[in-house]
This record gives sequence, C-alpha cells and structure tokens, in this order.
Amino acid sequence: MTMQVGQEIPALVKHPTTRQLVQYAGAQGDFYEIHYDQDFARSVALPGVILHGLLKAAFLGQLVTDWLGERGTLKSFEVSYRGIDVPGRPYRCRGKIVKVDGPKIELEVWGEDPDGNRTTAGSATVLLNE
Amino acid sequence: MATTSAVDRLRSRIGHTVAPISATVEAGHLKRFTEAIGDPNPRWNTEAPPTYLVALVPASMHLAEAEEYGKGWLNGGNRFEYVEPVRVGDRITATARVADVYEKTGSSGSLLFIIFETDYVNQHGRTVARLRGTAIRR
Repeated sequence: MTMQVGQEIPALVKHPTTRQLVQYAGAQGDFYEIHYDQDFARSVALPGVILHGLLKAAFLGQLVTDWLGERGTLKSFEVSYRGIDVPGRPYRCRGKIVKVDGPKIELEVWGEDPDGNRTTAGSATVLLNE
Repeated sequence: MATTSAVDRLRSRIGHTVAPISATVEAGHLKRFTEAIGDPNPRWNTEAPPTYLVALVPASMHLAEAEEYGKGWLNGGNRFEYVEPVRVGDRITATARVADVYEKTGSSGSLLFIIFETDYVNQHGRTVARLRGTAIRR
C-alpha cells in the first residue's frame, strides 16, 4: 500500500437528522437541550438545535477507521470544533496524509458544511501493521 | 466583574480529581452507540469505535460553579490517545481531573475554558486510553 504525503483519503458524507441527534443524546447520555429542544437552543443564541461536537468527532473517527480498516491501529485522534452544524445539512468528512514516518502516518482530518466551511478541524495518527 | 469569583473558585479546582467511575462495555450499549453515530462497521460488534469511551462514563465532571458563568456550554475540542483496544466485557475505570481553567476575551465577549483530562484503565489495571477535553462557557 502506498502512503504519500498530500494524498486524500476517501471522503465520508453523513446526513444528520434531528432523530439522529436524539439517538446520539441517548447513547452518549448527553442531554444538554441545545441538541433536541429548538426553543432552548434559540434561547442561548443558537439558530436551532445543533450537532453534538462528539457526534462530529465520531463521524471523523469513522472516516479514519473506514480508510484504515485492519491495516493498522489508530493511536491518537484530535478534533477541535470551530463552528456549529445543524441537522438537515450534509456533513462531509475529509482527510489527507500530512506525514509518513515509517509505519507511522499522520493525517489531517476535517468536517465541512455544504458551503465548504471547515466547522471541525483535527488530526489522527495511525500505526501501520509491520 | 460579577463572574470573577466563579473563575477563581473554579481555578482552585485545578489538579483535583473526582472519584473514579467504572462501567462495563456491554454489547447492547455498544450497538446503540454505533447505530446512533451511523457507523455500520461489523468490527464494532465487539470492539469500541474511537469515541465510544465518552458514552461509557461521563468524560468531564459537573462543575456547578461554571454555570454561573455565561449562558451555555460549548465543546471546544477533544483529544484521544489510544493504548489498547476496548472490547465488549471490559470493565473500564475512568478518572477525570480538571487540568486547567482560564478566561479569554474576544470580539464576541468573554469565554471560560475548562480543560478536563481523563484516564481510562481496564480490568487488568492497564491504561487503555486518555482523553483531553475542552469545555467552554460562553
């Protein structure tokens, strides 16, 4: 398998819905109302309910593990939430290889809204099987 | 500023840990989690996907004082480090501490940042993962 700096990994497009936010709230046990109560979300100056940061992290985690498969191990994964995302808008996860050091590969990963804004930025380090 | 005392009280918590919380990775909960994130990879029938540990045990402690500051919470970011896989049946103990508390003033007003660090240890006493999270009050 060739791993080259600058190479993009296959994108993953997710289609979050309010139903998914409720499902995720229950599965994570995060019942902060900004993720399912429109009136509450607006009362704290949001446009409406927004995606959990950690749901977006899970999407980016899937981006990396789908690409990596059984070829190696995820060693670290970091995400920083720069902007909000709302249900009903596709969320595109992308990534590219930024460093190759023997079996250690570093990726830049990010999540984009349909306007191309990087609302989530992050990185991942994987160790390929010898 | 009325919120200064809340910041000082929170800063006094830096370095403090809360009582460790333990939980067992159950196949049913793992399935609900992977359905919720929409990841159909069959690998996750028995192994935890990258962000699962935040659902197993709370990744941050509840700091009531923080809610005196601003109107709401935002998640600023998360950093996971993985040491070994977490699988169904593992008993995981999470220990969280407040690593830092600071205030930043920007164009849209003041924000309070609280950094939490959590260590996850399995039933064999081995660290399986670490998490650093940034919670923001705005």
